[in-house]
Order: sequence, then structure tokens, then C-alpha cells
Amino acid sequence: MSFELCPHTADVAVASHGESLGESFAAAADGLAAATCEEVPKTGERFSLTVRAEGREALLFDYLDRLIYERDVRGVLPVDNEATVREADGEWAVEASARGVPLGVIAARDVKAVTYSEMRVERVDDGWETYVVLDV
Amino acid sequence: MTTREFDGIRLERVREHVWEIPREGEMRVPARVLASESLLERIGDDKTLKQLTNATHLPGMTGRAICMPDGHQGYGFPVGGVGATDAENGCISPGAVGYDINCGVRMMKTNLTYDDVRGREEELVESLFANVPSGLGGGGIVDGDLPTVEAVLDRGVDWALEEGWAVPADLEHCEDEGRRPDADPDAVSQKAKDRGKNQLGSLGSGNHFLEVQRVTDVYRDDVADAYGLEPDQIVVLIHCGSRGLGHQTCTDYLRKIEQRHDDLLGALPDKELAAAPAGSELAEAYYGAMCACINFAWVNRQLIMHRTRQVFERVFDRSWESMDMQLLYDVAHNIAKKEVHEVDGAERELYVHRKGATRAFPAGHPEVPAAYRDVGQPIIIPGSMGAGSYVLRGGEASMDLTFGSTAHGAGRLMSRTQAKQEFWGETVQDELRDQQQVYVKAQSGATVAEEAPGVYKDVDEVVRVSDELGIGDKVARTYPVCNIKG
Repeated sequence: MSFELCPHTADVAVASHGESLGESFAAAADGLAAATCEEVPKTGERFSLTVRAEGREALLFDYLDRLIYERDVRGVLPVDNEATVREADGEWAVEASARGVPLGVIAARDVKAVTYSEMRVERVDDGWETYVVLDV
Repeated sequence: MTTREFDGIRLERVREHVWEIPREGEMRVPARVLASESLLERIGDDKTLKQLTNATHLPGMTGRAICMPDGHQGYGFPVGGVGATDAENGCISPGAVGYDINCGVRMMKTNLTYDDVRGREEELVESLFANVPSGLGGGGIVDGDLPTVEAVLDRGVDWALEEGWAVPADLEHCEDEGRRPDADPDAVSQKAKDRGKNQLGSLGSGNHFLEVQRVTDVYRDDVADAYGLEPDQIVVLIHCGSRGLGHQTCTDYLRKIEQRHDDLLGALPDKELAAAPAGSELAEAYYGAMCACINFAWVNRQLIMHRTRQVFERVFDRSWESMDMQLLYDVAHNIAKKEVHEVDGAERELYVHRKGATRAFPAGHPEVPAAYRDVGQPIIIPGSMGAGSYVLRGGEASMDLTFGSTAHGAGRLMSRTQAKQEFWGETVQDELRDQQQVYVKAQSGATVAEEAPGVYKDVDEVVRVSDELGIGDKVARTYPVCNIKG
């Protein structure tokens, strides 16, 4: 799985790729962390979360929003993200985990929010791609 | 007729600095760009014009969707966008306000001169940086619990006055006297309140900052007198918003609207324009929540201003009252407000969305605070760390041209990813100090690179256009002395 930070006049966009939908989500979450902080130490405890939504795009939106919430409330930057996406009876769920690096030990900037602007979640030949603009 | 075209969008020149995109297809109204030729070139470079035409699709859009001279691509609605929707039959759009509800700027005056500060810039910038929380996870000036957050959401700067963080004059020089009467704290989610608890009185990061400045130029003596500004005077400019609490509130309502009004959303060209029909339960709830976030942001800036007074007391060993550290004004530039405007000869109540745009009411308008009603509302336009900022006053033409609005800043020119390739934070700091006597201290070198003076448009040109159009008239110019950021 991989991500790239892409130019945007005011904000930052993340393009991600994964062999599975879950991997592409986790890579987008790693892009969110990279937009926040350049150098991340190997500290921090892992934590788990589950997010549910009505569709793929809504799920990516809510998953990244939840990570921003956890960042502010737990006081940690979620990195080394792992995610699995499942769908049953029209409800989508991501079961995810992240390593929470205490904000006190890093020089980090605020990413305010995830946006729907230009958002894409697409199947490609070798897996899944996502594109999301973050409000900085 | 002179026309210009960018990516298939054609603009017709109406007169100097006024360009119109005629109504076509699903557009409910035409759109206008207020820009000089050079600013229009920049505006045409990214997706600003597409986002502006998208905004004309909002139900109840009235008159025109308008892009200010500092406009640039945002998400959904462009930054620098003004859109007025009918408050009875239209809609209200969280996306057209933005995530950082009541992001804005306030300016505090002092009776110090540049000579009083010169030679003490390092001490001042270090002390401000140590005492005003910034960046991510830096906490807030007030350690907030849930009752505190709810009191702030409900009562705004009245809360700060009760708690000793404000004086009555601060309220008299703030829009709405620092308290939105329509605020509904119950409409703000627990998640949002959780995020607000440890951020009350904090700058955040990105383009937010606190800057000590000196007045370098005065353009209108009578208005500058009324504002209490004179050459060489030291002032303090504070730029920040409603922090995670506001961001979460916008996010929450975007999702609620998506789930409840998907028919309306499906008719819009961009999901980020999500709008609740006027009169619907969600429209009322969002308006109440947004007004509560406006209160939170005012208190946020108030706490930072009052803390700055305390820092000045320590550095200059005098009381803040003896340095006459008084609020000039506080302006919001991410906001929607119910306002009455004249449209086609009739008065109508509208939701005026200003996203990266500043209210600019002229002299005589009843909503201008009594202190400034004879000269017009102060407008504060921050520039970059290496350029000047401006104080304007609401212009006579603003009510006809822009629903009483003007620009909000210089406007970005370069992406953050490119800025980090072009600039190195420490080098930017060294050059600003050695060549321009501007002392900068930041939590992150990357933020300095992303906010380097070269990433912004020419603020002088933005203000020239505002002044020549008569929507916001030049009063004074200021120049940075010390700057702290996240």
C-alpha cells in the first residue's frame, strides 16, 4: 500500500493505493498523518476503532474524521494504520487500528478536517485507489 | 466587449475590476469575479472559477455568486466566495461557510511605538510563543471542562467578561458585542465539545498566527483618528478560529445533510456544497450550532488577546491599561449570517455566506458598532509574514456590489506541497529577521515554509482593487515586527 501528498492551492490532497479496499483506506490514513508531521518516532501504543457508514465514500470520510477526532481527544497522532473494510446488507464498516504517537513528542501541524471535495474511491486493475482533499 | 476564458468558463468584462460569468445550464444566477487583470490570471489558474459557478446552483441563490479579489480554490465553495441565499425559500450550506467556523482576525491597539519595541523583539517573540498555545496538542489558555465549553458556546465574550478575561470595552468593539443571540449549544455534538475542551485559547496552525505589527502608513486621517491608529504605533493582530470544535460541527452537519437531504444534494455539482433547505429542522439546527461556534471562536481570540496583554505587562513592566491595549475590532471571515439586503428594490432576509470574505458595512449601517457608525466598520486584511497587513473601512459600494463584503487576506498562490520544495523554514526565518527585521517563531519549520511570503498573492493589489471598487476603503497599513505560529 502507498500514498502520495498532492498539490492543492490552499489545502493538501492525498492519493492512496492498496491491494484491498482496506489497505487503500489505511494508506489514506497514513497520508493524513504525513500531512500532519514529517518525522515520526517509533513510540506510542496501538489502539483500535470501528466506523460504520452507508457507502464507500462516506466510510472513508467518517474513518478519517474519526482519526482526526481521536487525535484531538487522545492527544496522539495515529500512524502505521491498518484497516479492513467489510460490507453487509448495505452497511459498510471499517475495522482499523493505529499506533498513537503522543503529540508532545512531535512537531505537528493541524489538519482541520476531511472533505468530500473531489473525493474518489475506485477499483483499479491492481486493487483500489482513493483521493481525498484535507482542510489544512 | 472584452472577454476572457479559463478552462471553458467565459468571463465578460462589465467594467474595471468587475467580470461576469453569464448564467447558463443549471446555474440559478450569474457569477461575478472582482479582480484586476493580474489577479484574474491567478484566479483562473486553479479551480476557483469552476467552484464559483458550482456555488450558483445552491437553492435560493440571490443576485450573483461573487468571488473577492483574493479568491482561490477551496473545497466546494471557493475561498473568497460570497453567496446570499433566500432565508425563507433557499438554503443554508455548511460547505459555503467552511470547516473553521468564524475563522477571523482581531486587532488590538497599543500606545507603544516601534522605538519602544525595537531591540526587544527576541524577548517579546519568545515570551508570546511560550505563553500563547499554538500547534497541535498544545492545550489552551483555559483548561475547559464540559460546563465551561457550553457556557462559552451560549454566552460568547459575555462569559469571558464574567471570568475576568475581558473588559466591557472589548465587547463594545466586537461584532454583535461578542455574543450571537441565535446560538444553540445543544445543537453542537458531544464529539465537537470533546475536541473543544482542551483547545480554548489556542492559535492552531496552518495560516493562523499572532503578529506584533507597526503602523507604517495612514491613508485616511479622519477614519484612522476614529479607529485610534497613527504612524509608528504598535498593534497586535490575531488570526484563528473555532478550532476542532468548529471543524467537527461542520463535519457533523455535512454528514447529517447528506443523509437527510440526499435529493437536494444529488442536484448539486459538488457534495461539499451540502445544503439544508431553509426552514428545515437541519437548517435551524445548523444555524444554531454555527452561531454557538461563532461564540467559541470569539472567546478563543479574546483569551489569546487578553493573554497577550499579560505578556506585554511582563516584557515592558507596565500595566496593560497604561499601554492602552484596546481592541480595535474583530472580523469573521468564515461565516453565514441572516441579514436583510435590498434585492430588486425590495428588502429580503438572506443567509449571507462569506467563506474567506469579510463583512464590510459602510458608515451609517445600523449593524456597525456605535463607536464606528459614523465612519464605517473596520476591516482587517492580514498579509503574509513578509508583507504588510491592512485596515480598511466598509465602503459605500459594498451593499450594492457584494452584499456588504470584501476580501479577507492576500490569498494563496502556491500549494503547501510546492512551498515545502521551494522554501526551507529556517532560511525563511533567518532572511525575515536579517533583511526585514521580522522575528518569527513557530512550532514547526514546515509551517514557516508553507506560509513563506512567496506563497501568497500581492496583498497590495488585493487591497487596491477593494479600494477602487469602493467595497473596502484603505485606512492604514501595518508591517510585521514579531510573528508566532503553530
